[in-house]
Amino acid sequence: MDLGSLLTSTLTDTLEVSLPLFRVELALSATIVLVLLCRMLPVLRWLDSALVALGGVAFALWYAWSDLRGLPGSPWPAVVAATHPASQELFGGLLIFDSLTAYIRFLLAGFLVLYILFTKISGIPDREDGADFYTLVLGSSLGMCLMASANHLLMIFMAVEMASVPSYALAGMLKGRKASSEAALKYAVYGAGAAGVMLYGISLLAGVLGTCHLPSMAAELGRIVGDGADSFYVADSAGPIMVLTLGGLMMAVGLAFKLSAVPFHFWCPDVFEGAAAEVGAFLSVASKAAAVALAVRVAFGLGWLGDAADASAAGLADVRHFLVYLIGLMAAVTCTLGNLGAYGQTNMKRLLAYSTIAHAGYLLLGVAAAVAMLGVDPEGCRKAVTALAFYLGTYLFMNLGAFAIVAVLRNRLRSEEIAAYAGLVRSNPGMVVAAGAVLVSLVGLPPLAGFVSKFLIFSSLVEAITKGIERPLMLVLLVIGGLNTVISLFYYLRVLKVMTFDPPPEDRVAAPAPVWLPGALVTAVVVPVVLLGIFWSGLYAYAQLAGTFAS
Amino acid sequence: MDLASQLPQLLGLAWLLPLASFVLILFFGPRMGPHGRNAAWVATAAIVTSLVLSLVAFVSWLGVHPAVAAHHGGDHGAAHAGDHADAAGHDADHGSHAVQPPVAYSGDWYTLYEAGRLKLSIGWYIDSLTILMFVVVTFIATCIHVYASGYMHDELHEVTDHEVHLTDGSHLHRPGRFPRFFQALSLFCFSMMGILIAGNLAMVFIFWELVGICSWFLIGFYYERKSASNAANKAFLFNRVGDFGMLIGLMALWGALGTLHFADSQVPGPDGQPVSRPGLFSLVRPAETGHALRVPDGMVKFAAAEKVAKTAPGDVAGKVDAWRAEGFGKWLLFIAGVGIFCGCAGKSAQFPLFVWLPDAMEGPTPVSALVHSATMVAAGVYLVGRFFPVLTPDVLLVIAYIGAITLFIAATIALVANDIKRVLAYSTVSQLGYMMLALGVGGWVAGLFHLVTHAFFKSLLFLCSGSVIHACHTNDMRKMGGLAKVMPYTAGTMLVGCLAIIGAGIPFVIGLSGYYSKDSILAQALSFSQANPRHSILFLAVAGGAFLTAFYMFRLWFMTFAGTPRDHHVAEHAHESPQVMVMPLLVLAVLAVVAGWTLPGGFGIANLLEQSRPAGTTETVQGGFAFGQTLTVPAEYLSHEGTIHVTATMTAFATALGGVLLAAAMYLWRVISPAAIATIFRPVFIFLANRWYFDELYHALFVVPAHRLAAVASGIDQGLIDPFINGLAWTARQVAGIDAWIDRTLVDGLGHATASATWSAGLELKKLQTGSLRQYVMFIAAGTVALFVLASIVFRSSLAG
Repeated sequence: MDLGSLLTSTLTDTLEVSLPLFRVELALSATIVLVLLCRMLPVLRWLDSALVALGGVAFALWYAWSDLRGLPGSPWPAVVAATHPASQELFGGLLIFDSLTAYIRFLLAGFLVLYILFTKISGIPDREDGADFYTLVLGSSLGMCLMASANHLLMIFMAVEMASVPSYALAGMLKGRKASSEAALKYAVYGAGAAGVMLYGISLLAGVLGTCHLPSMAAELGRIVGDGADSFYVADSAGPIMVLTLGGLMMAVGLAFKLSAVPFHFWCPDVFEGAAAEVGAFLSVASKAAAVALAVRVAFGLGWLGDAADASAAGLADVRHFLVYLIGLMAAVTCTLGNLGAYGQTNMKRLLAYSTIAHAGYLLLGVAAAVAMLGVDPEGCRKAVTALAFYLGTYLFMNLGAFAIVAVLRNRLRSEEIAAYAGLVRSNPGMVVAAGAVLVSLVGLPPLAGFVSKFLIFSSLVEAITKGIERPLMLVLLVIGGLNTVISLFYYLRVLKVMTFDPPPEDRVAAPAPVWLPGALVTAVVVPVVLLGIFWSGLYAYAQLAGTFAS
Repeated sequence: MDLASQLPQLLGLAWLLPLASFVLILFFGPRMGPHGRNAAWVATAAIVTSLVLSLVAFVSWLGVHPAVAAHHGGDHGAAHAGDHADAAGHDADHGSHAVQPPVAYSGDWYTLYEAGRLKLSIGWYIDSLTILMFVVVTFIATCIHVYASGYMHDELHEVTDHEVHLTDGSHLHRPGRFPRFFQALSLFCFSMMGILIAGNLAMVFIFWELVGICSWFLIGFYYERKSASNAANKAFLFNRVGDFGMLIGLMALWGALGTLHFADSQVPGPDGQPVSRPGLFSLVRPAETGHALRVPDGMVKFAAAEKVAKTAPGDVAGKVDAWRAEGFGKWLLFIAGVGIFCGCAGKSAQFPLFVWLPDAMEGPTPVSALVHSATMVAAGVYLVGRFFPVLTPDVLLVIAYIGAITLFIAATIALVANDIKRVLAYSTVSQLGYMMLALGVGGWVAGLFHLVTHAFFKSLLFLCSGSVIHACHTNDMRKMGGLAKVMPYTAGTMLVGCLAIIGAGIPFVIGLSGYYSKDSILAQALSFSQANPRHSILFLAVAGGAFLTAFYMFRLWFMTFAGTPRDHHVAEHAHESPQVMVMPLLVLAVLAVVAGWTLPGGFGIANLLEQSRPAGTTETVQGGFAFGQTLTVPAEYLSHEGTIHVTATMTAFATALGGVLLAAAMYLWRVISPAAIATIFRPVFIFLANRWYFDELYHALFVVPAHRLAAVASGIDQGLIDPFINGLAWTARQVAGIDAWIDRTLVDGLGHATASATWSAGLELKKLQTGSLRQYVMFIAAGTVALFVLASIVFRSSLAG
């Protein structure tokens, strides 16, 4: 193959295959450029950057929606035949487009629309900072979209960094506040540490396996683990496996950092407390969705090669066994420590940070169940991924709602301490009802959305148990998950108790804040929490679509 | 746009507008202006628009089907209004038109349920009767909306109800309920029009119950009054009794025929082409018999189920005619007809279910005028008219006798009643009896004609009585008298109403609306009596009823308006009502005069109705169905002929004049003392004053046994079941006590211990979160190493093996 034809085929692949499936990212990139342009050119300075960003994101949402709808087996068949392939590697295998990509991108774009409206209403950022803020948010989201579709170690690292670096700056948005700057610094340094470890792990993996392309890596991995005798580094087969284990663990550190999984969660409470509630909402929802998708992608990519029944398949079963235990244990610890850590918190944002950690644990439970059934029970595996996808969809509304309430109450009470919420039911009954719905949903009680998603996660664990797949671990995980739900009840309801039963502080001076828009915002976010608990089949159908990505 | 698509749209919109008004007032009523004052505007606007739409439909109908001389029926109407001279010349063209089915448009808007042959839908059946009734209902409703916006003004502020005594002896104070009144009125209009437009019996039944519930709301409008809430419940219960029969009729029809649609409908056939599915009318009166009544195949097979089971499926169709000849299925058709009529008897207050209607006068007077005289109670008559093709001569005879009994009983009670609204209520019952009787003796046009004219003059009479009550603050006629001087408009319009109801007119020349409709009823009854001499009592009932009507109506008018005031306290406060109440009186009075007229050129209500005359009822029908082989239902045109017509008209004139003169002798000239009469006929007087003891009879027959049964049930409940349950509860409590002790000491102790343990664990964990960045970064390294150590211990076997 000469250089000419190589160039031609690359160009064809890029222009005709990759770019049409890359429209969401392109739309986000174009929006970033536009926002910056508006800021630079005096002619366009009158444009509100929030509106520019909203417009661009609306385009991205439309593209994400049409991508999701165009997939084969889409539950809303507006088109007779699928317009998109079920699975397609982009840019020579750097990225992959499949139903998971499409679903997560749709969630992210939908989130961005709500999020920009939320920030516009809550007043942070102000007009002056708007361009910076939205550039960072959109840039970070671009990274998250790439995280959801990464198919190559290089892309994984790039995407994680692209998502993280703007977040560091976002955490320091409140320039005048010491806590905010401190949070940004901690986040940046911690993130740099995690990135370093991850990069080291990636280099180890790439070195041993000789490739960075996930499916190729899996094939090589299966071969090495499967017939451990073959080794070209050291005579002892344990050598490369040791290196691989270390590399995998180090990579896991990077992912755990993004997921805020224990023991790499330390940044989370400090950053959430220091940064504005708006930033917390972004980090807890968008970042979490992308990180879970990436974790699923890496675990599935390294642990399974399709239905190829060759020597490598047996080796991959061992790899999956390792991954299940790794993820499962991390999930159990994350859940438990997250929930216990939330005890005794006095700051609402800090409490929500621990809640975020705990929910990362629940999500990891689902990932563990999915990986356990991967390749063994395709149906159960699909259901587990479906549960994860559904969880992310509902979590979007629950956490956005929680942070929106914190932001609205901050504007009114000038405080984010739980104690400041005392007796709020007397002056703001609507807000307390909304908070009640969100918090009870976070606990996971019926008839709210949180119950359905938690139920789906637990039922995928039960499915694994009944089919005898990794039974002891799954059983332990189920028990721990159940206990954690009980534990979490306490600290969520304590907030409600303060809001309703405690007498309001006498020196409360409620700032005169507009009521209509924030009320509408909170309603718009909280109503889905209630509705999705009752009419969940619509979202579930799309989550099922996402669940088919590995088959 | 052609009529078939235009009419459902016009009338459908007219039908739904009051619903929109109801919904609006339901949600926003109290916020419509001060005390919801503007609710009246919303409701009135809706009904006025409905009226306009109905009128547009009316005019469009006339444009395509002019109500003149379409066939011989038109000629009769014209002759009736003129000099009745050419009534003999029609025999020639009867035969040729007998098999023409009437013009009607039908279809479905929305299918509620469909399974196999069974289909429930919201649809329409529109003929000239539907359109006429739409115009009448919306017109009267409009008048009454306007009138009520004046009459109900008390409800605009805090109301002190002097008829409700609280335990401390004071009167009830309550907020006004102005919007609620119009809300119920709008719902009623919607429901009433639903009955009119309904394309099938199931839909009729739905709206039948809806008007029932509206009636319940409206009778019980002053629900704090014991009498009002009792009356509302009574009306509701009596209607349920009738509806029970109606349900049986519906089931008989649906079970045997599988359809409740009146007209044929187009349904997609097996090959996708629309095929015609016969409705009730063409099942019972198929075209191949010349629309003569025949027991439909479905009923024959249903009744002969045993024989059908023994016959090979292929042969059944061939044997149906033989079975029909043996008489299978005719009782089923009879039951279906009588069942539906039961519902009509309940709604239209026929004997023996009529006792609720006089009590229903506890509602506000506009309600009495609209719901309980002009429209809702006429729905029963309307349904008999609509369902007429399915009714066998035997059912018609039942209907005729029920009508005759009703009209006589009610008229006699009205003779001695002293409450002005109750007189009118009994008069309504009596007039409804007239209509039923007219339908029963085959006077399809006569009965429905009277329904229309009665709607106008009876709502007028009620509104006049409302005006009187508004002025006097009492219903008792014995306290009135001489009001004509202070209330000239009310007295004048009420006189018009009285004249209309007694059928006053100059014989063979001209008369008020009642003159025409009542004459045709009398003539048809006479025609029937001549054809069936053994049933000639029906004519006597009609003639006697006419005399009684004239007497009690003028008794009412003389007692109220003529002479000198009996109670000065009342007379001093009396005044003419405000303009908003007088205007509807004048409008209705004009209609009470002219509604029966046939314009030069032949347009008139009777001619219009003639267009919708059911197919196959044009000619005389010989022979009963289930019993009475000798029964003859004479054709209606026969009653317009020479001798019968003259006799009927003269009878009507003589009885009416006699009644008026007697009333005048007793109450105006005072030649005969009413008190003396009452003393002479004391037992009869007491019997009538106690309303034939119907209420007492029903009380003894139904209420007392029901109470006894309830007492027994309650005794069993309290004596047997309660102690048992209480015992169970006591045992459960004891067990729970033990359980609680275990719970508190053991389980709670454990729980508290766990809780404090988790709490302190949480607080311990907090210490780890030092906030020191250096430590955090250390933790990354430490965490990685820890994970690796853990992994190498746990996975030594699987990975290194």
